[in-house]
Amino acid sequence: MELIVALGLIVFKVALLIAILLLLPLPLTWVERKIAGHIQQRMGPMRVGWHGLLQPVADGIKLLTKEDHIPAEADRFLFKLAPILALAPPFVVFVAIPFGETVSVLNAEITLYVSNMNVALLFVFAVIGLEVYGVIFGGWAANSKYAVLGSLRTCAQMISYEIPMGFAVIGVVMLAQSMSLLEIVRAQADVWNIVYQPIGFFVFFVAGLAEAQRIPFDLAEAEGDLGAGFHTEYSGIRFAFFMISEYVIMLLVSVLAVILFFGGWNGVLIPLPPLLWFLLKVAFFVYLFMWFRFTFPRYRYDQLMAIGWKVLLPLSMANIIITGIIFS
Amino acid sequence: MSRARNTIGTWIGWTFFADLASGLSLTFGYMFSRPVTMQYPDKEKWLPYSRYRGHHFLKRDEEGEIKCVACELCARICPCYCIEVIPYEDEKGNRRPAKFEIDTARCLFCGLCEDACPADAIALGQQYEFSSFSSRDLVIGRDDLLAKPGKAATGGGVVSARLNTKKDVLVETNERQGYNWWRNIRRR
Repeated sequence: MELIVALGLIVFKVALLIAILLLLPLPLTWVERKIAGHIQQRMGPMRVGWHGLLQPVADGIKLLTKEDHIPAEADRFLFKLAPILALAPPFVVFVAIPFGETVSVLNAEITLYVSNMNVALLFVFAVIGLEVYGVIFGGWAANSKYAVLGSLRTCAQMISYEIPMGFAVIGVVMLAQSMSLLEIVRAQADVWNIVYQPIGFFVFFVAGLAEAQRIPFDLAEAEGDLGAGFHTEYSGIRFAFFMISEYVIMLLVSVLAVILFFGGWNGVLIPLPPLLWFLLKVAFFVYLFMWFRFTFPRYRYDQLMAIGWKVLLPLSMANIIITGIIFS
Repeated sequence: MSRARNTIGTWIGWTFFADLASGLSLTFGYMFSRPVTMQYPDKEKWLPYSRYRGHHFLKRDEEGEIKCVACELCARICPCYCIEVIPYEDEKGNRRPAKFEIDTARCLFCGLCEDACPADAIALGQQYEFSSFSSRDLVIGRDDLLAKPGKAATGGGVVSARLNTKKDVLVETNERQGYNWWRNIRRR
């Protein structure tokens, strides 16, 4: 009986997580367009619903009813597989992400995470690396020069950014003496990691921007020079899959930044519910992503490579060494 | 010396991302400034300046008679020959237009008809919402021209209004100055 309850709870949590993550891009697109509008002294969507609140729903209907077009010379199997490959890993990653300790519902303590892996951090980086396959396959299968160029850029970008990103979090692991995200957050109960690891956070955040393929590192889709990059030939719901994947990854990088460097659900000064603290911090990072997007220009391809290999990698190495010397 | 210090200062600035931070602060300021968007069909409607040349209208005199004397000078001066006037003699013995048609699809809104008119009968008003799905609808006859709205005495301004092309109503405004497009643009 207990086993069934526990299993049911896990299934319920996973279902809830999937539902939230699938639906969250809807308000996020609205927020992004509003922020974009106001930064450019426009108003953003205003006509569908109150201040355009129903705009994402209208967009969703539009995407669902559009023709699902596959180019004539495309590799049909890979073309259909790519959006799923891009969509699945960001969702899988959230299995290992804790959103808080416990909440008590109906006299039962329910944990706010699906699983507490002892190698959660490793799992996160391993799985999130798979997302790039969707992008590469999508660009390759479409048989379009813009899409292939976008995919090529993604390959190079991922190689030069996964490594500094992985190195940047080693400092955090050294501080917490654990790879479990739960333990990492517990270790930050008094002082957040950002105090000890400013360089690590900087490297992680820049690499995270590249990981989420957002401006200033959105070379894979670069509207200006590549049409739409790897998803140039995609339309309808397959395009929506890529968009959802992009937003979920943005969310994931925000969540990781909060968990690894900003104390997770540990609050300061103002006593708020831990979950609320966590969500506020994540919202701030999501806003930061959008703010960056409408402020900075896109880096050139060679500049991106130079930053990745010549700046971020040595910085993250130095961070590991300094952390090792100080905290050993 | 000072130049060297400036270079060092620039380097220090770059190290701490002063340039990126200043860009971010600029966009943050813009985010909370007023949008310049005029919500044209939904909430606001721009009443053009009094010199704006929009849709033509025919005037009436004090007795309510049409002012036009059908001299056909407007048709003569029109650079695109879009005015057609056919005169007749009414019961008082005055020369009046039996037919006065303006093909607004061909009209270029130069205002020469207004200048040429000896009776001050035709003028270009401020109405600008008269697009149509058929070019035949754009040929406006005498009675329609008489019914078109005249010029508002005041200059342009943004007035809250609903788009209403059916009723041909222009909204009167109290705003004396024209709409200053640049008033919301922040300058540094």
